[in-house]
Amino acid sequence: MHRRSFLAACGAALTACSKAAKIRLALNWKPDPQFGGFYAAPYQKHGLDVEILPGGAGTPTVQMIGAGSAEFGIVSGDELVVARSRGNDVVALFAVFQNCPQGIMVHASRHLASIGDVLKEGTLALQRGLPYARILEKKYGFDRVKVVPSPGGDISAFLRDEKFAQQCFVMSEPLQARHAGVDVKVFPVADIGYNPYTTVLATSGAQLKSDPDRTLALTAAMVAAVRGGWRAYLNDPVPTNTKMHDLNPSMDAAAFAEVAEAQKPFIETAELGNMTTERWTTLIGQLAELGDIPRAMPAQECFRNL
Amino acid sequence: MKKFLPPLIPLVVITLAVESSVRSGFVPSYLVPAPSAVLRALINSRDELAAAMAKTSAAALLGFALSTLTGIAIAVLLSSSRAIQRAFYPYAVFFQTVPIIAIAPLLVIWFGYGMKTVIASAFIVSIFPVIANTLTGLLSTDPALRDLFRLYGASPAVTLVKLRFPAALPQILTGLRVASGLAVIGAIVGEFIGGQGLGSVVDVARTQQRVDKVFAAVLLASVLGLALFGLINLISAVTLRRWHASEQAS
Repeated sequence: MHRRSFLAACGAALTACSKAAKIRLALNWKPDPQFGGFYAAPYQKHGLDVEILPGGAGTPTVQMIGAGSAEFGIVSGDELVVARSRGNDVVALFAVFQNCPQGIMVHASRHLASIGDVLKEGTLALQRGLPYARILEKKYGFDRVKVVPSPGGDISAFLRDEKFAQQCFVMSEPLQARHAGVDVKVFPVADIGYNPYTTVLATSGAQLKSDPDRTLALTAAMVAAVRGGWRAYLNDPVPTNTKMHDLNPSMDAAAFAEVAEAQKPFIETAELGNMTTERWTTLIGQLAELGDIPRAMPAQECFRNL
Repeated sequence: MKKFLPPLIPLVVITLAVESSVRSGFVPSYLVPAPSAVLRALINSRDELAAAMAKTSAAALLGFALSTLTGIAIAVLLSSSRAIQRAFYPYAVFFQTVPIIAIAPLLVIWFGYGMKTVIASAFIVSIFPVIANTLTGLLSTDPALRDLFRLYGASPAVTLVKLRFPAALPQILTGLRVASGLAVIGAIVGEFIGGQGLGSVVDVARTQQRVDKVFAAVLLASVLGLALFGLINLISAVTLRRWHASEQAS
C-alpha cells in the first residue's frame, strides 16, 4: 500500500511540478550537527515537501526504508551492505561523512601509543555488534580488557575512571571530555583500516527499479537539495544550528557550533556526498571476511552517485 | 492433555501463519523472522544463548527474591500503623513509576558493570506489586477473626504470623505473579546497560540486524518468565489448596 502511495506522491510531484510531494526522511539520532545539511536543505526549491523524522538509539532506519515507513533514511555504509545481504534492497545516495568519524577515546594521561594498547588493560565501552568492534577483537583479542556496552554519548563513567576507554564520534565526546577538564587521546577506527561511509542518505532500490523515470527524478531532486543543504551548512551553520537547537534543546548552542566546525574535515570533498566503487568494494570484502555477509556482492549495486 | 491442548492450538496456528507469510514473501524476513529461522538461531547459537540464559535467570531470580523479601517486609511495616502508611506509602509508588531505562545508566555508576546492576534493575522494577498487594492483603483480615485473636489475648506478632499473613497469601501471591514477569523485564533492561546475559545478546544481534537471533533471545526470556510464573503457581497450589476458593474448584 505504501508503495502505491509513494509512487502516487512522486507522480503528483512530477506531473504538477508546482505541487510538492510529501516525503519522509528518517534520521537515526536526534537533530545534531551530523544532520546539519539535511535541516539546511532547500527542499521546496527542488519541488519537495520533506518531513524529517528524528530518531534515537537504535532507530531501525534500514528496516524503515525497506518497509516503506520512510522514503529516505540515514544509515551507515556497513549497515547498508548487511541489509542488502539479507534481502533488504537499500541503496546509498549521498555519503555525508567521507571518512568514518568513529573512534576510541582514552585518557591522555595513560600515554597509549596505538589502538592495540587500549586493549591491553582497563575497561572498553563499545557496541560489540559493530563490525569494527569485531575486527578489533579478531586482531587483538578482548581477553585482557573488560568490554562493556557503549553508554551512548554519556561520558560520566569515562570521566570517573582513568582506565576507561570509550567508543566515540571523534568530533563529539572528546570535546565534551575536554570541557570537563580531562585531556583525551582519540584513536580513529579508520586507523585499523576500517573506514565505511557514514551518515549516508539511502532509499529503497525496489522503488528506483519499479518506476525508474519518476522515482529517479524525485531522488535526483532529493540529492540535489541535500547537497545544496550541506554546502550551505558548511559555509554557515549558524541559522540551521539555531533551528536544530530548538528541536534538540538538550544539546547546548555552543556544542552545536563546536561540533559543526570539528566535523568539517570528515565531510568536505571535491563533490559533496559522492562515493567510489573502490571504497564500497573494500567494505564489502571486510564484511565478507568477518562473516557478517555470506558472500561478497557487486559494489555497484550498493550506491548511486546522482 | 486436556490442560495442554487449549494453549497449544493458538501456538501452532500462529507459528504456521507467520512461517507461511514469511516464506511466501508476504512479510520480508528482515522485518519478521520465520519461526524456522528463529529455531535455527536457537540451535546454531545454543552455547552462547545457554550461557546468556543462565546469567539472566540468575539475575532475575535474585532480583525477584530480593523484591519478594523486601516488598513483604515493607508491607508489614506499612500495615503496622496508619501514620507510617500515610508517611511512606506514596514513596513506594515511586518504584512503580520510575522509568528504569532512564536510571539504568546511573545504576552502572552506583553498582558497576555486571551482575549487581542487573539485579538492582530487576529489583526496582518488580518490588511495587509485591508491596501493594501484600499491603492490601494484610489490611483485609476478617475483622471477626481479628476480634477472636484479641479476645484470646494474642500478641500482635502472633496475630501477624498466625492470622494476618496466612489470610493475605492469595493477594501476596498475586503480587508475586505480576512481579515475576517484571523481574525478567527489569533484568533484561539492566543487561542492555550492564552488559551480560540475554539483554546483551539482543543488543548485539540488533546491531548486526540479526532479527532471528533477537527473537530467539526474546523467546528464551519469555520461557524464563513462564518458569517463574509456574513456580509461583506451584507455591500457590500448595499453600492455598486446603482453604482458598481460587485453588479448589475445577
